[in-house]
Amino acid sequence: MAAALSGVLAYLAFGLLGLIGRPRLFSLLALAAGVATFSLWAPGFPEVLVGGLPWGIAVAGDPWTLGMWALGLTLHGAVLLHGRARKEEFHPLITLLIGTCLAGALSRDLFNLFVLMDLSSLLATILVVWERRERAVWAAFRYLVLTEVGLILYLMGLGLVYARTGTLSITALAQLGLGFSEPILAVGAGLLVAGTAVKTGVFLLGLWLPPAHDQAPTEVSAVLSGLVVKVGVVALARLSEAFPLGPILVILGALTGFGGIAYALWEKDIKIFLAHHTASQLGYMLLGLGLGMELGALLYAVAHGFFKGLLFLAAGSGVVQTGKREIKELAGRLSWPVAVGLGVGTWAIAGLPPLAGFAAKGFLSQGAPFWAKAVFSGLGIGTAASFSKLIPLLRPIGTGPVGGLAVLVAGVMGLGLGAFFFVPELREPRAVAEAALVAGVGYALHWPLRRWPLRFPELGLDRSLVSLLFGTLGIVILALFLR
Amino acid sequence: MEGLAGLALGIALVGLGFWTLVVRRNLIWKLLGLDVAAGGSILFLVALGYRPGGRPAIVGLGPGPAVDPLPQALVLTAIVIHFATLALALVYVVLLTHRRHTQDVRRLEAEERWPQP
Amino acid sequence: MKWAAGVAITGLMALLALGVIGVFPRPELPDPEPVALSWGARNAVAAIVLGVRLWDTLFEILVYAMTIAGVKLGLRFLRWEKRVPPVAETPLLRRSADILLGPIVVFTVYVAASGHLGPGGGFPAGALLGTGLLLLALAKGVERVSAEIHEEALDWVEYGAIVVILGLAAVLLLLGRRGAPYFIATNLLIALEVAIGAWVAIHRFALSRGEV
Repeated sequence: MAAALSGVLAYLAFGLLGLIGRPRLFSLLALAAGVATFSLWAPGFPEVLVGGLPWGIAVAGDPWTLGMWALGLTLHGAVLLHGRARKEEFHPLITLLIGTCLAGALSRDLFNLFVLMDLSSLLATILVVWERRERAVWAAFRYLVLTEVGLILYLMGLGLVYARTGTLSITALAQLGLGFSEPILAVGAGLLVAGTAVKTGVFLLGLWLPPAHDQAPTEVSAVLSGLVVKVGVVALARLSEAFPLGPILVILGALTGFGGIAYALWEKDIKIFLAHHTASQLGYMLLGLGLGMELGALLYAVAHGFFKGLLFLAAGSGVVQTGKREIKELAGRLSWPVAVGLGVGTWAIAGLPPLAGFAAKGFLSQGAPFWAKAVFSGLGIGTAASFSKLIPLLRPIGTGPVGGLAVLVAGVMGLGLGAFFFVPELREPRAVAEAALVAGVGYALHWPLRRWPLRFPELGLDRSLVSLLFGTLGIVILALFLR
Repeated sequence: MEGLAGLALGIALVGLGFWTLVVRRNLIWKLLGLDVAAGGSILFLVALGYRPGGRPAIVGLGPGPAVDPLPQALVLTAIVIHFATLALALVYVVLLTHRRHTQDVRRLEAEERWPQP
Repeated sequence: MKWAAGVAITGLMALLALGVIGVFPRPELPDPEPVALSWGARNAVAAIVLGVRLWDTLFEILVYAMTIAGVKLGLRFLRWEKRVPPVAETPLLRRSADILLGPIVVFTVYVAASGHLGPGGGFPAGALLGTGLLLLALAKGVERVSAEIHEEALDWVEYGAIVVILGLAAVLLLLGRRGAPYFIATNLLIALEVAIGAWVAIHRFALSRGEV
């Protein structure tokens, strides 16, 4: 416990010292301190009440914490390598953001999660407007307003749950085992889930996600999509321990999966395309959580952090190097490292063996009932169909800087190959054939889909707010019916 | 009864704030609505700590049971967080006004397909 | 849009009202007094904020500091074509600032240092001092006040104060030390940090005023 807490404290202190001066040096020191403390507590530690009874904050080192710390430290290394040219407060702010996410992975307390989710979104907005472009400012404004509405809902839900149970600790709530037995708990838990879903960027509730992830600078997009969104997923995992959220999370997962894919299928701008796919991949994690496959959801969250971070880093470098954003115009202009990064990321996200995406999807579909397998296949086909657009980009010319791409390529390959060789179920011909079939069907479908594009409504600020409110209403009513 | 009145007032403020936030077109008005809603949620949380005949949770302040101190402690944090969000959002309004010369959300979004740099 | 918003908000309020019906009577609460005394405080809220739930408060301080950093970064380089002229200073304002500033500083220190004994604490104290600085800025003009303050030094003091608070938190949380001196030190540091942050925010917003 002491090692993990002092790791977070060291991260924050070095981030603040970097704000005074010597930004890159202190960020490196923070990373070193994080790795050292991580290796000290690594296998995990049981739950501890920091501050003691009766109101202390519960922290624990469970598999989720382990996965998020590994992901966060790797991403930080990649960002430090990739953003060598970034000056001033950039690296300290990234350090503080990652320290916040590490603390969020430790926390098992409703209010502590609230504070950490808000701090991470504040830091994220500051980093989104880093280059001070107008669209980025508008995206950050939307981000702030929508997450603030979500956090107001979360705060009220927290109040209701606390008023009935007298505790904020997830473990204590799970031990009470009250579920949705009373309207006050159903309303409270529904509001908690809605607030967290807004923060996570679930489709129809958190519609801030596509513009913010699109407009952020390259390295920031990678951290936002790879790590910050996962704090919300961890919070949802904790909430699903305390309340029977299964059906709610399954519905949210299917919604965000297919919604994200629908918007991504005909998107021409590469960064908006990847941003919509962050929403679609959240669908896998929420479905996994809703079906009770925590380990599969965790593995998917970590794998998604690696390959989506890689895709955003590569795409962002390509956009910066060529000055173009349309997928068509990027074809044949990218440098070797960027094209290799995009290729590995696409291979992984399509779920083809033996990279990280295959392992994660294999874990998820192993324990799933038949209908869930069908949903997963549908999501996989949609993902493959929309990512088929990127195939023309894999004709590189010339060389360019490698930067942090190498770290994340190693992460994607290491995770995938490790799972492939140590888990025999993944090596069965049936699993490999299924994955290949899904990707093949997706690739075949992308030709007819490209011929007949559909147009979806634009998602402005007011529409996002109304859809957020309706989404909350739906979740709470569903929780009341699940009683 | 006073506790329920506080809770009802908090809920009403949250509703009013959200209404202003969605319906008004000016960004400053939207932020005012957001602030009212945040204030409502804070009032809601404080009112949850109510106890009939309670007294402040300070040692040696009169007879009777102390009110629940935890919501008050949480509210302190929540106030700072709402303040922080509001301050940052105002900075972005200033920046948008400076660049686009408008605070009207529809005009801003009509120009949302701004040329990419 | 208005109809949809009305339906959604009314529905939400109705559901919240449904939830609220079950709030009272609350379940039996733990007695806050022994907890407060065991931390060396008389104010239970202060014992929670600076003791039991210090881990939250650390991030709360960071939220505040990062907001100020965000204001500073966002408004840097912002120059309007049409500047707004500074507010004309009035003798009344200047005199009252001269008279009030001393008591404000004394009261700030009192509120911060006695926060663990009664109502008060670092955040209100910092807000008080920030208000005093706002009064000073109104009376003498932001430019004149800021000319006497070194921006570089402010960064050092602000972030340095938080790093010291993090160190104190490590002593409290990891080594298990308790007692009033820790509370007084933390409250004074928080007050310092909040006041500096308030000044920086006032300064930046005042400098970047203009007309479209």
